[in-house]
Amino acid sequence: MTSAPILDVRNLSKRFGGLWALRDVTFSVSEGQILGIIGPNGAGKSTLINLITGQLRPTGGSVMIDGKDVTGLRPWAIAHSKVARTFQIVKPFRGLTVRENVAIGAMHGNDPDPTVQDALATADELLAVVGIAGHADAAPSQLSIADARRLELAKALACRARLLFLDEVMAGLRHQEIDAAVELIHRLRGAGITIVAVEHVMKAIISISDQVLVLHQGSILTMGRPREVLSDRRVIEAYLGHRYVQRRSS
Amino acid sequence: MSQFLQAAAYGLVQGGLLALVAVGFSLVWGILNVINLSHGALAVTGAYVAWLLNTRFGLDPFLAIPVVAVCLFALGYAIQRWLINLVINAPIFLTLLLTFGLSLVILNVLQLAFTADDRSVETAYASQSFVIGTVNIPYGRLAACLLAVAITAVLVVMMTRTRIGRAIGATGMDRGAARLMGIRARHIYALTFGIAAALAGIAGAMIATVGSFNPTTTPTQLTFDAFVISVLGGLGNMYGALVGGLVLGVAESVGGLLLTGTWVNAIAMAVLIFTLIVKPSGLLGKAQYSGRV
Amino acid sequence: MSVAGATSEELARVLHGRSRTRRELLREWIRSRTIANTWPLLLGAAGFLAMVGLQQAIEPGTQRLLASVFMFIALAQAWNIIGGYTGYASFGQVAFFGLGAYTAAVLMTNYNVSFWIAMPAAILVGIVFAVVIGVPLLRLRGHYFAIATLGAAEGAKEIVNNLTGLTGGGSGITIPTFGTNSPTPYLGKPGFYLAFLIVAAASIAIAAALARSRFGYAMIAVHQDEDAAGSVGINTTWVKVVAFAASGAIVACVGAFYGFQQIEFYPQDVFDSSFTVLMVIMVVIGGSGTVAGPLVGAVGLELLSQFLRVNLGAYNQLIFGAIIVAVVVFFPQGVVNFFRDAWQTRHLSILDNVRRYRL
Repeated sequence: MTSAPILDVRNLSKRFGGLWALRDVTFSVSEGQILGIIGPNGAGKSTLINLITGQLRPTGGSVMIDGKDVTGLRPWAIAHSKVARTFQIVKPFRGLTVRENVAIGAMHGNDPDPTVQDALATADELLAVVGIAGHADAAPSQLSIADARRLELAKALACRARLLFLDEVMAGLRHQEIDAAVELIHRLRGAGITIVAVEHVMKAIISISDQVLVLHQGSILTMGRPREVLSDRRVIEAYLGHRYVQRRSS
Repeated sequence: MSQFLQAAAYGLVQGGLLALVAVGFSLVWGILNVINLSHGALAVTGAYVAWLLNTRFGLDPFLAIPVVAVCLFALGYAIQRWLINLVINAPIFLTLLLTFGLSLVILNVLQLAFTADDRSVETAYASQSFVIGTVNIPYGRLAACLLAVAITAVLVVMMTRTRIGRAIGATGMDRGAARLMGIRARHIYALTFGIAAALAGIAGAMIATVGSFNPTTTPTQLTFDAFVISVLGGLGNMYGALVGGLVLGVAESVGGLLLTGTWVNAIAMAVLIFTLIVKPSGLLGKAQYSGRV
Repeated sequence: MSVAGATSEELARVLHGRSRTRRELLREWIRSRTIANTWPLLLGAAGFLAMVGLQQAIEPGTQRLLASVFMFIALAQAWNIIGGYTGYASFGQVAFFGLGAYTAAVLMTNYNVSFWIAMPAAILVGIVFAVVIGVPLLRLRGHYFAIATLGAAEGAKEIVNNLTGLTGGGSGITIPTFGTNSPTPYLGKPGFYLAFLIVAAASIAIAAALARSRFGYAMIAVHQDEDAAGSVGINTTWVKVVAFAASGAIVACVGAFYGFQQIEFYPQDVFDSSFTVLMVIMVVIGGSGTVAGPLVGAVGLELLSQFLRVNLGAYNQLIFGAIIVAVVVFFPQGVVNFFRDAWQTRHLSILDNVRRYRL
């Protein structure tokens, strides 16, 4: 186990015209950890993921994955550094079956399966892991939202990543579905995957995260253990407003 | 130098007319996301209607404009409502194919009815010119150009001030949302296409007065010009179509002075491709339509 | 197994990946062959042999007709690779056709090179052109890409037109085909029948191989969701350029044969945009994104077009246009896909199909 973190982000910044979506964000994640990222809407959480996984190019700063500089690389190059992600609004390949959707990742990700048959077999195994094996031949549009999220996750897993970014996978799920998702994430960590999860659902964040990072208006507000962060006055203020905190403390 | 001025003036006047050809095309592309390959054919249909009215009834082409507009509007409305609306949700090249097939049908009907001969509409005043210094501007062309600009201005007002115009704009921006607001999208689309067809027809009628036309080469040239102007000016942007038309008119005219015919086309193509890559929203394009694929 | 799936250990194993030596893979492939997955190959081979045999039974005139059908089969398959599978509808494929024809013609006429060297050279030119215009243009999407490729085709035509020293420009070019002057003896109607048949068979084979391969899936992924494709590790630029180059190479090869067949031609003959239109129509009508679709479309449409030309004379373009409109309205997903869906869902209704894409 090396001492270097698997993900090392330094001074990462992104500007859109006159607006700084992200400014001087610096943090690191050790292998096998689960980092939760929270923050009010517009804080820059999705932008952060997009910058790290290559959908956007940073205006400044650097991203190192496993000691390798991946700043500004195209998404596929970053994927081949053993990184995978899910999208907040799921993006399945609509004309293909659920199984084929997952197989694509197995064929083109890291350690790709040598044949299409192998990839389809891998897909079946991953569909069983996430729990939608029964839908393998269905079209993605026929899945419920919870199952669609599972498909998105299976697609990402098929890339055989060591570092996985989850973009609001819990949004819109019912309580039992959230519990099942949390359990799945624990099992992913058990298999050796490092996870960075952007979330709004606090119950999930507390259950899964080793560390929590709070973003506010493009900068890091604080970072630390889940319970500490969530009882931090500044964090409450960021989410619920200055007046709420004042009224509470008076 | 005077040659250059003459070419520039000529180009500007020609450009106004080209703008009218393009404005409808740009509107349909911007609002419906349909590239109407039969646009040139519709324009030439308008030309034939004007020609018919002129040779049968002696009607002056400028007076024939309302008739042409109504006929082409009806044709355009029908085409959109009962043909193109059927494939609107399909991948884009299906509408390209449909409009292509349509243009084949229209042009061949015209050819069978009127033969492939060049035609034009002669008027007494068209050959006389308006002279400033060394520059010579034929009345016919000038009238056509001014009318084109006027119609474009009316169109802009209609789009921004009237309820119908704003309904069209809204449907162009977000069809689903517009329908939720009670806008009948099928009708609005048909209306838009009808307007575009009417504009094309009017442009065709004017072209009949200033030059000659035929059912084989004229439509392709017109559709191509409309295309280039729409890209230059930005989709659905009517001022853009006007500016684009003027730019193209002057460029073709001045270019024709300096280069031989075949190179001018090649350069026009290069400019087009360059614009597509560097600024797909066009010289004046609005961002909301530049995302159209 | 728990309600939510397998254990961490099983997951870790899946994530470890599987790899085997090439020999193992080959043995596995051979062992996995059954009638179910080899019938297309058998059918194709049978069809090919049948066509070869047919040649003995028909007149040269009919051979010429069938040769043009084979030509369009190859062109349609080629277009399908970039337009159908990858989803980048190129409206300038005729550029490769013309460049292929002119490369072969120029080499044969000016440098007395044998056709069998000029044709591979034409393919090479096609690939180079595809890469040169593909890299900038494939960044565009949808309509913009279509029109930009159209522009590139017109540009290629203009360049050829203006290089009069090399290509004869507007006066056309003539390939020496008879006597001691000619580098390769003229193939004649039987020869070209066989030549185009082989090119068509090769294009079908290439398309079929691509369709089932990892590259084929990559093309489809790029088509359906380019961003998602990128994030699972597909190099979308590479996929697009390779598909474009493969398509261009096939079209250039066909163009070279066509040029040779015509012997004498002008730029507007081989850069005629109606070739592109026909390619697209054949694929769309047949059904894009499949191997059978372009085949059906090409055969059907070319035979129809010849029939119309012979029997209806002046009305043929009109009817052709009307048929295009009708097929687009009634079978927007293509005839092959329509019947395949109807077979799978046991539901055949043309009227329902018309409503499929309507507003």
